[in-house]
Amino acid sequence: MFSRSPLSLPTACQGAKRWLIAAVLCSILLSFGQFNRYYLGVAMDVGINIILAVSLNLINGYTGQFSLGHAGFMAVGAYTAAKFSLVFAVAAPEPARPVLFLVALVLGGAVAALSGLAVGIPSLRLKGDYLAIVTLGFGEIIRVIVQNLEAVGAASGLKGIPKYTTLGWTFALASVTVYVVVSLVNSTYGRGFIAVKDDEVAASSMGINPVRYKVTAFVVGAFFAGIAGGLYAHHKQFLAPTGFDFLKSIDIVVMVILGGMGRTASVALAAVVLTLLPEVLRPVSEYRMILYALLIIGLMMARPQGLFAFGRRAVK
Amino acid sequence: MRKGIGMSAPSILSLREVTIRFGGLTAVSGLNLEIGESELVGLIGPNGAGKTTAFNLITGVYAPTEGEIRFAGRPVTAKRPHDLTKLGIARTFQNIRLFSSLTVFDNVRAATQLHRSHGVRMALWRGAAFAAAEAEVERGVMELLEIFDLGRVRDEIATSLPYGDQRRLEIVRALATQPKLLLLDEPAAGMNPTEKAELMRLIRFIKERFKISIMLVEHDMKVVMGICERIAVLEYGKKIGEGTPGEIRKDPKVIAAYLGTE
Repeated sequence: MFSRSPLSLPTACQGAKRWLIAAVLCSILLSFGQFNRYYLGVAMDVGINIILAVSLNLINGYTGQFSLGHAGFMAVGAYTAAKFSLVFAVAAPEPARPVLFLVALVLGGAVAALSGLAVGIPSLRLKGDYLAIVTLGFGEIIRVIVQNLEAVGAASGLKGIPKYTTLGWTFALASVTVYVVVSLVNSTYGRGFIAVKDDEVAASSMGINPVRYKVTAFVVGAFFAGIAGGLYAHHKQFLAPTGFDFLKSIDIVVMVILGGMGRTASVALAAVVLTLLPEVLRPVSEYRMILYALLIIGLMMARPQGLFAFGRRAVK
Repeated sequence: MRKGIGMSAPSILSLREVTIRFGGLTAVSGLNLEIGESELVGLIGPNGAGKTTAFNLITGVYAPTEGEIRFAGRPVTAKRPHDLTKLGIARTFQNIRLFSSLTVFDNVRAATQLHRSHGVRMALWRGAAFAAAEAEVERGVMELLEIFDLGRVRDEIATSLPYGDQRRLEIVRALATQPKLLLLDEPAAGMNPTEKAELMRLIRFIKERFKISIMLVEHDMKVVMGICERIAVLEYGKKIGEGTPGEIRKDPKVIAAYLGTE
């Protein structure tokens, strides 16, 4: 009766790490390819958005917390990593730069994770709409701080960031993000995230500490948003505070909802589609936001479970 | 652990003069209650008597305004629900509260949280120790599911099960936390007579098999009288009687509370 080995837990454990290694190696190989500059740029946008959407999905999808602050975490990571590179990496010798870039990214992620902790702990007493408003406020505070901070260029933006982000970096880190989120959730420990989403009272009666899970989701989600920010900074080479307003957060939320909350693969797919869509619609780009709105309305009516949510209904 | 049944057994849970007020309303007032090891106790009372409030006090959902609650010899007054579960108090809910996006298997698996040794780091590293720990969890969960004849639906969404199975699954999930005391909040609600008879067998079976104390809040007199060793009766937040089913049946105060007086 329970000899269904493909579904058994230990087997599922072992495959994951091999996949991650394969994905990272493939990503590094991609770095050596020669691509059209435009396509290269779009592909990196895709990778960065996958990181953002998959990490937000841990908070909004699996743990069921409605966060509108992801652009804020991204901004923290972007500015931290960019400032670090401008101070240390630019003066460093050529061979040390990839190492310093990794340090910059991890530092950006770490500072973003700290801000995730700072937002998480006090605001997780709130639920639903209230939490959404607090995280929205947090994102705006970050933007306003950056806008007034001379050290990071204030309103005129941070210029001259070295171009370190490559396709390899982007997709290697996107693979790591997917791996971390999938591994976390697909474990006995990780079932707690979904339990908290489904029923907090029942979860705490089962010995699960809801606050701890929510804070963990916020910290991990913010960490990867920070990484995405660092990649973004070293890809665009210019940071403007207006790029991290709450519309950016909404963009990421739309990816999560469109993919189907709590499905990593679908959310990543939605991130790809929604990044490519404005590029395809470039001739009518001023209608992009209208299209977004129409998409969400249509989705809510036709496929409330998510555009790419097929088959099994159980969270995987 | 495995001591005799009845009042002589050391008590696992004791409530001393527990009172809770919501504004001007005293929902539970000066409640004294003892539950012995491996004892099956029923808590009954008319609608609004404070049964569920008493339940929520024991499980940490509410903190008492006054009084003390001790569990397994230590004070647990105002501890949070997940800490109480760690100490060995598990519960089910009056309106079933399963994790609706998880499978039957995962519902029970989530409740084994407390007893696994692996957390975030092992889940991310996915080494041999993690695989072994997860295999152990799977074995334990499947064993529980098989005992309660739910192994055949392990991959179904929990909330897609028939009502009776959902009730049973909720009990299984509570048992997966390895409790010393199991609290059942109106387990017979919404059941037909056949299901009720089945439930009574199930509760007795759990007590025998897992050697735990059970307390149930129940409306159905037949169920309560049929299985409980001792019954406490609440009315207007106060305990008006306590004793064996036979004693409770004859207690004039209890009869008055249920049927009214002339």
